Amino acid sequence: MDSRYEVEFTVRGDDFLAAGEASNQIKETLVMLGVPSAISRRASVITYEAEMNLVIHAGGGILRAVITPERLTIVATDLGPGIPDLDLAMKEGFSTASDRVREMGFGAGMGLPNIKRNADVLKIDTEVGKGTTLTATVFFGRQAEQGG
Amino acid sequence: MTVSSLIEALGLTVHHEGNGDCPVSRGVVGDLLSFVMGGAPEGAVWVTLQTHVNIAAVAVLKDIPLIILASGRTPDAELLERCRQENIGLAAASASPFDVCGALHDLGLKG
Repeated sequence: MDSRYEVEFTVRGDDFLAAGEASNQIKETLVMLGVPSAISRRASVITYEAEMNLVIHAGGGILRAVITPERLTIVATDLGPGIPDLDLAMKEGFSTASDRVREMGFGAGMGLPNIKRNADVLKIDTEVGKGTTLTATVFFGRQAEQGG
Repeated sequence: MTVSSLIEALGLTVHHEGNGDCPVSRGVVGDLLSFVMGGAPEGAVWVTLQTHVNIAAVAVLKDIPLIILASGRTPDAELLERCRQENIGLAAASASPFDVCGALHDLGLKG
């Protein structure tokens, strides 16, 4: 592949009809670039959970994937409410999602833990009232066992 | 076992057959989307009570060839349309998720 390949998608807040489209496009891009399936499976978990966080919690945002020969970096940026307690948000089972969203099978408090499990490096910059930037990196050199 | 033979063996109501020749050997059951996203085996058949369009997105990303709606659930129109677009199998069973999973296990599918 070329030395660097980048795709970017705008994700609309509360748009459950289009939710998952950006993740699907990123998956297709990874397949097109010949990224190993073990990597793209982990990437799909990360992109989907990040995309749904933008839809459910952030009022939308930008989902970006940067692919180089060594790594895949997924960046989700929003101008949403921010995360007041990041340690709590990382705990499996904790969620601030509404009842309506939970009834759809979201808001189980598994999103960020799923991302952490499938990323080699996870960085979350967040500020209440300003927004959140999540950066997840997957290195191609590491044999993937996560992600199902 | 293929998607088609599984549908026939369970006597499922077919909404969209998808790739009938696709081999299946694994299954997953659940209504929490992140649970399925994080833990479904590759290419698994998915048994669920959810009927809305967002389950199709999970199926696409997890390469799930067949969704089985249990307990007589019927798919939302948007879900059926998305499954047709993406060629994901979508079928329904009158049996409960427990009984559907039992039948799948009897057919040799593993979790």
